[in-house]
Amino acid sequence: MVKIKTTKGLDIPLGGVAERFVVDMRGVKRYAVKPTDCVGFTPRLLVAEGDTVIAGQPLVQDKRDERLFLPSPVSGTVEAIVRGEKRRLLEVVVSLTPSSSPHRRGEQNAEANHSPLLTGEGSGVRLSPVWWMIKERPFGTIANPDHKPKGIFISMRDTNPLAPDLEFALKGREQEFEAGVKALEAFAPVHCVKVEGPHPAGNIGTIVAAIDPINKGEYVWSVNAQDVANIGRWCLTGEYRPERVIAVGGPAAKCPKYYRVICGACMQFISEVQMMNPDYPCLNNQNVPNNPTTQTRIISGSPLSGTTIAADGFLGMYDQQVCFIEEGDKYDFMGWLMPGLKKFSFSKTFLSGLLRPLLSLRSLEPLETLKTLTPSYNFNTNMHGSVRPFLFTGSFERVFPFDIYPLQLIKACIVGDVELQEKLGIYEVEPEDFALCEFIDPSKTEIQTIIREALEVLRKEAIS
Amino acid sequence: MNMKWLEDWFESIEPKGKWSWLGSTYEAFHTFAFTPKTVTKSGSHIRDAVDMKRSIIIVVIALIPALLFGMWNIGHQWSVASGQLSVSWLYEWWFGFLRMLPLIVVSYAVGLFIEFAFAQYRHHEVNEGYLATGLLIPMIVPVTTPLWQVALAVAFAVIIGKEVFGGSGMNFLNPALVARAFLFFAYPTHMSGDKVWIAADLWGSDAIAGATPMGELAAGSHPSASALDMLIGTIPGSTCETSVIAIALGAFLLLFTGIASWRIMLSVFLGGGAMGLLFNAIGANAYMELPFYYHFLMGGFAFGAVFMATDPVTAAQTNSGKWIYGLLIGAFAVLLRVCNPAYPEGMMLSILFMNCMAPLIDHCVVSRNIKRRERRIAR
Repeated sequence: MVKIKTTKGLDIPLGGVAERFVVDMRGVKRYAVKPTDCVGFTPRLLVAEGDTVIAGQPLVQDKRDERLFLPSPVSGTVEAIVRGEKRRLLEVVVSLTPSSSPHRRGEQNAEANHSPLLTGEGSGVRLSPVWWMIKERPFGTIANPDHKPKGIFISMRDTNPLAPDLEFALKGREQEFEAGVKALEAFAPVHCVKVEGPHPAGNIGTIVAAIDPINKGEYVWSVNAQDVANIGRWCLTGEYRPERVIAVGGPAAKCPKYYRVICGACMQFISEVQMMNPDYPCLNNQNVPNNPTTQTRIISGSPLSGTTIAADGFLGMYDQQVCFIEEGDKYDFMGWLMPGLKKFSFSKTFLSGLLRPLLSLRSLEPLETLKTLTPSYNFNTNMHGSVRPFLFTGSFERVFPFDIYPLQLIKACIVGDVELQEKLGIYEVEPEDFALCEFIDPSKTEIQTIIREALEVLRKEAIS
Repeated sequence: MNMKWLEDWFESIEPKGKWSWLGSTYEAFHTFAFTPKTVTKSGSHIRDAVDMKRSIIIVVIALIPALLFGMWNIGHQWSVASGQLSVSWLYEWWFGFLRMLPLIVVSYAVGLFIEFAFAQYRHHEVNEGYLATGLLIPMIVPVTTPLWQVALAVAFAVIIGKEVFGGSGMNFLNPALVARAFLFFAYPTHMSGDKVWIAADLWGSDAIAGATPMGELAAGSHPSASALDMLIGTIPGSTCETSVIAIALGAFLLLFTGIASWRIMLSVFLGGGAMGLLFNAIGANAYMELPFYYHFLMGGFAFGAVFMATDPVTAAQTNSGKWIYGLLIGAFAVLLRVCNPAYPEGMMLSILFMNCMAPLIDHCVVSRNIKRRERRIAR
């Protein structure tokens, strides 16, 4: 395992860290596959409502590259096919059949306890159901089996706020993890990296930038450490059972804990448990829309870059945490002038930025009583300001551990100057690498959206 | 504090229908009273509490020590120069307050009117930037500047210095210094010489003769004020730029909160100090022999370094660029002071010149990053 240390970044002191106790939730009834979580994946449905499917059976395939598919996480029946605007496919919902065994023995099992990640060659390649877990940079798509990556990167530490402790999550799966690494080594050198330092130290982008930055025309692959174990399980036993231990927490979570789930599991039960507090009733009941003070947002993935899901929604394809945060749709009287003891800011422009460093000094014993009186940070989903042009400079660099000029790259993306974006290193980044820049930005610019849109233009140019 | 009634009132008067063209003005007042209840839609679900209003208000707060001291010093200079030594320090401050107030009111009224008009015309939100600029302008002019000149300079600075480029964040010259430069070149007799720095009475623009240290140096004599006087700021000069101690208090706030760049602030002093030492080494005339730290204490050097050079929009935007930008501002300011007696105050011109050079500095810095990346591909 490689060790790297970074200093630039910020650990946001978000409350509601998951207690180190795993609740087994593998018995959840409903599961969903979400093609929208896969960048550049144009789904073609392979099943219809009511069909019986087995775990690992393709549910949707990519129209552009028919070898890529998203498999059913469990064996059961296709319960619903959810479409959004313009009939865009959002979710394929599979409900577990209680009678059938939930998992499938791989067909390749005959082959001496070893199932390969892919069989065949060239255009005749057949991919295994675990293939979608391998992501490719630049662009963050599912790995293209034709590409030769210059390395496969696995982050051994998730530094996102409230993210699961991967060592804890992988306990008992060491053998599977090693088998997964071995299987991946067939494609490129595998780097398991443990990074020390504040977020975004554990992001794949940070790791790749520190070890071997991506140049134009190069590819690197990355796999979530828990998915490496899933790949390992597939290789060892031929069984497709995509399991993850997820951290459930957040300031509005009632009892933050770890849960062991199958990928794509419905969050309804977990949401109900976490929002039992009468202050935070369930979001999906439409009878309280005009009561904004009591709504909770449920985020699948990091609070810095995850997706909002409904209380009966499903875990995202690549997510390993769920976060509960109070909706902040409240006015703040003279917010720009108030001392702001409960407000968190990277900039120290609020009194909290002055008091907290003082209070953390051990030698100041008389402040002990004051310490207990100081309220904890009040995090919610409020923007805390209106959108403005970029005025202030120099703060992005403090949370951006790349050899890239972040403001200049963002501006190049806003004006759509593709050539300049390439020169400034757009291929080395993903939107999530800019999440902290977006968080601290006093101009409230939607930086991750800007980067995603710029990358999409480049990706479409690359495949056309 | 329950402000529900005010929330409801604002929501009830939201301009609709035939009044909807007033949206920008409404939005400006509404967001002044309340931070909006907008929630995050995409990207990061949680956001830092800081916004543009908070950042700008920190700059305004940082200006207050210099402003309060400047008011007192106006009265103090008047009482000393007119021989009224019996007046109390409180009356001196009150005198200065009454002299400063019209300048500040005119600056804000004219500037904000133009800002609102442009925002309204473009259907943009009103930007907060002028809250700082509008206070900076009266703080860097002589106390006897006629109000109509201030109004004209403000209008010039806001329209030509900022709005023609698209408003706050798009300008390349510091608007407050554009106003100062406009006055300096349009009405030189009101901006320099001996008879502008000390107000003769509470009203009107009459002045009592009294030279600033730099005026004396330009005339070839040694400054009559001691270094300590200059440090405290009890010398004639532009309204609020004289006290280095008061400015240092503001600088501390700007640096602690991270609003201003310590790289720029430090490097301006380093650049000025280096140039001063160089002149000390040459020592061809009295001005060159002046101890280098006198440059930090005289005129607008400290004020410019802390509040003007650090304006993030017009400064260099890359970290290494900020060092070059600051060093050159300091060096050019001292060079202009010593070598060009036609312009007693080099700081203003030096910062404006480096404002123009900042994009070039950034371009060079970013080009190095691009070259590094290209070399990596070539390997």
